[in-house]
Parts: sequence; structure tokens; C-alpha cells
Amino acid sequence: MKKLLGVTLGILTAIGGFVDIGDLVANSLVGARFGMSLAWVVIVGVVGICLFAEMSGRIAAVSGRPVFDLVRERLGPRTGLTNLLASFAINLLTLAAEIGGAALALELATGIDYLVWVPGVALVAWLVIWRVRFSTMERVFGLAGLALIVFAVALWQLGPDWGELGRQLTSPPESEGAPTYWYYAIALLGAAMTPYEVFFFSSGGVEERWTRRDLGEARANVFIGFPLGGFLSLAIAACGATLFLPHGIEVGSLGQMALPAAVGLGQVGLVAVIFGVFAATFGATLETALSSGYTISQYFGWQWGKFVRPRDASRFHATLLVTLIIATALILTTIDPIKVTEYSLIFSAVALPLTYLPVLMIANDPDYMGVHVNGRFSNLLGTLYMILLLVVSVAAIPLMIATKAGQ
Amino acid sequence: MRRALAVLAALAVTSCSSPAWDHHDYALKAGMTAESAASDVEFVRLAVQHEPDLTRPYLKTVLTEAAGSLSSLNDQFGAVQPPSASADAMRDQVLGLTQEAAEQVQDLLIQVRRDRIADPAGAAAALGEVGAELRAFGEAHR
Repeated sequence: MKKLLGVTLGILTAIGGFVDIGDLVANSLVGARFGMSLAWVVIVGVVGICLFAEMSGRIAAVSGRPVFDLVRERLGPRTGLTNLLASFAINLLTLAAEIGGAALALELATGIDYLVWVPGVALVAWLVIWRVRFSTMERVFGLAGLALIVFAVALWQLGPDWGELGRQLTSPPESEGAPTYWYYAIALLGAAMTPYEVFFFSSGGVEERWTRRDLGEARANVFIGFPLGGFLSLAIAACGATLFLPHGIEVGSLGQMALPAAVGLGQVGLVAVIFGVFAATFGATLETALSSGYTISQYFGWQWGKFVRPRDASRFHATLLVTLIIATALILTTIDPIKVTEYSLIFSAVALPLTYLPVLMIANDPDYMGVHVNGRFSNLLGTLYMILLLVVSVAAIPLMIATKAGQ
Repeated sequence: MRRALAVLAALAVTSCSSPAWDHHDYALKAGMTAESAASDVEFVRLAVQHEPDLTRPYLKTVLTEAAGSLSSLNDQFGAVQPPSASADAMRDQVLGLTQEAAEQVQDLLIQVRRDRIADPAGAAAALGEVGAELRAFGEAHR
């Protein structure tokens, strides 16, 4: 019974933790502009993140070491460094976007400008990382993020034309050109397969001292929690397609994204969605900040993690603090957090092969994995995804230039 | 060093007010401005229609964003030089509409900062009119 409760709690945490600022922005924007015609990308993204998160969780459980710890050893210091620089730069952009998102949620709740909240959000995030236990931190914000289920309830209350939503699945609006369509497809894939999720998942496995016996729970989190998180993403897109698309409204702010919940469910819906957005973005702030510390410390072989006392992992905590300060400074320049999010998604897409190729290689290496190496199906799917990610990576920047970042 | 700074400053200024190559290019810019403004106006109209379902801080925030966005659209398009005399009329029409939309949203923002919107139905209707004009202009100049 206790085990079942643990698994259920883990799944709920995975659902709530799946959606972050990237998913909120990309799905709402795409739903309002393209209807449900890009829903297939969310499904492709969720299958991809499930595939690679399962591999990275398995690597952590079997070897007792997270993915990045093995990247340098397996690929050599130079390739590892390229991987580290790309991952860290995207992580930093994502962290800035998440801090901005949490501050924007507080602005929606209070009416006080988000820039006033930015330093406070960063300070509290640092205090939580410093003081709160890993499992408590993960569970509290993951479960609070479940408030975003309000999008699914609001969609039902909005009474959409389900037939029309179904028709949109196969027919993009005629007013949108193919390059813009593919540009946003790449942004959505970047949102669903954000690199930090894998670093966090595998390092989190080590933080929670996973062993082979925990593989079942890890898989339940991935294969049940993530798809249900993907369902939330689709609900956000469907809200945009129902409320905004018929009025020609292009979504460009968190405030606009929250309106469907208010229209569907009144003030209760609005309060729930603002709370959910705050929980999701603040939780992701913690995850991205930790991921920055994880990747750098693991590459250089420093002691890392919250499972040891801060004085024993001082360089890890210093890295994390400096990264938080840089990301906060970036948002305090008054750069639009939503724009930062949009660019971080595209740059994430560019770096996807760098993130996921080492996962595939290590999960296939019997020296590390023993009998737990990938099966044929995982390898086939993993290879197909690597081809897809390579195409996406090559196409992302030219499409960004050609479409003037999706205009 | 000074010359380099002057060149940089000139580049920065020209990049803020991108010129129109010809009448067609100017018309496209005008159409895009009108469509973006129509999107802002439609959003505000939806929000005003559902005003009882919204909290005051939320309404204040989204109206502030919309007012800023409309004002920015107005400034950006106003900085583009019309390439011909016929483009002058287009300029006046678009700037007139975006200006009107910005004023309506500003007016609503003032009301929300003081209390609530006095006549949501009337405000939504007025926004609907200017939004429809902007949309029609945008569609005609795609």
C-alpha cells in the first residue's frame, strides 16, 4: 500500500512537473494561431521525452551515476565540453525564462510589476534549494503544478466544437505559410523535450538513491506521468484554439494565456491558473538552477548534489548561485521573458542531438548497463529520434531567420 | 572611436524605424500593424466582456500590456516613412485607428486603476467597432 502510494505520488508529481514556461508559451501561442494542427508534435515530443527520460533514469538506477557524469568519460573531454557549453547556455536561458515566468504570475496575482518580483523569486528559489530536502521540493512544486489541470476543466466548460477541433488536427489555417508552421513545430518539440528535464531526471535519480529495484517506479513516472503532462499541454493548446483562434488573437503574454480559465470557470479558474503557472514556473526555476549546478559539477568531477552537506559540495552550490544571479540579471535588463522563452525553445531544439545522443550511447553500453542495456525496440526508436532531432537541429536556425522568429 | 560610435548610433536608429522599399512594402507593413493591433483590441474586448470573472490586478496587468503594445505599434509604424503621396492616406488611416484603440484601452485602464469598468458592455461594443475596422484593413493589405 505504501509502495502504491509512493508510485501514485510520483506520477502526480511528474504530471505537475511536466509543464513549464516553455510548454505554457508554446502551446498557448500555437493553439491560438494554428488550432490543433500541431497537436501531433506534442505527441511526438512526449514519446521522445519518455524514451530518453526512461533511458537516463535507467542509467542512474543501474550505474548509480547521472548521465552527464558519464558523458565526459564515454565521449572524451572535448566532445563533453561542447556538450556542456551548449547545454549550459540553453539551461541559463531557460532558467531566466522560468524566473521571469514566476514573476509574471505574481504580477497577475497582485498587479505589481513583474520586475519588482524578480529578485525575490530568485532569492526564495536559492533559499529553497539550500534548505529544503530534494524529495520535498520536488513533490511540493510538482503537486502544486497540478493546478494547471484547470485548463482541461476550463476547456470542457468553454464548450468547444469538438468536431472543429478534430478537423483542425489535419488542416492548418490557410493564412499561415509552411515555414511558419514548421518553425512552430520545432518550438513545440523543443518545449516537450527540453534538455534540462533529462539532466534533472537522471541527477534526481541519484539524489534519491535509486537502485535497480526502483526501475519500476521510475518507469511509472515516465510512462504514465509524462503522457498525462502532455495531455495538459494539449488542453492548453485547445483552450487557445477555442477562445482565441476564432477572434484572430495572437497570444504573446502569460496574462493572455490565463484568460480561457477565467472565461470557462470564473474567478476560481483564474486564481487556480495563476497559482498553477506560479507553481510550474517556480518548480522549473529550481530544476533548471539545479541542472546548471549538476552539469558543470559532473563534467569537472566535483562533489555535487543536495544529498551531501553544502560544505561538502561548495563548488556545486557556488555554480548554482552564480547561474541564478546571471539569469536574474538577464531578466532584470527588462528583456521580455516570453521572448526569452521563445528563443530558448528554438536554441533547445538546435542542441537536442547533443543532449540525447550520449544518453542513447550510454544506455547501449554493456560496460555501464550490464543486462539493462537497451532492447531492440528502444534502439530502433532511439535511432529514429536521433535522425529526427538532427533534421530539427539543422532546420531550426534557418527557419528562425526565414520567418523572422515566427512572425 | 567616435566615428565608430556615430556609425553604431546611426545603425541603431535606422534599425528601429525600418524603411519601406516601395508602396507595396509600406502597405504590407500597414496591414501587419493593423492585424497586430486588432489582436490586442480583440483580447481586451474579450477581457472586458468577462470583467466580472476577472480579478482587478489581473485586469490591470493585461490592460497595461495591451496599452503598451498598441502604443508601441503606433510608434513603430509612425516611424516608417511613407514612400509616396498615396501612402500618406494609408498612414493616416492606420495611425488613426491604432491611436483610437490605444486611447480606448488607456481609458479603461484608468477606470480599472480607480475601481472597476463603469460600462463593460458599452466599452466592449466600442472596442468591437475599432477592432473590426483594424481587422478589415489588415485583411485588405495582406
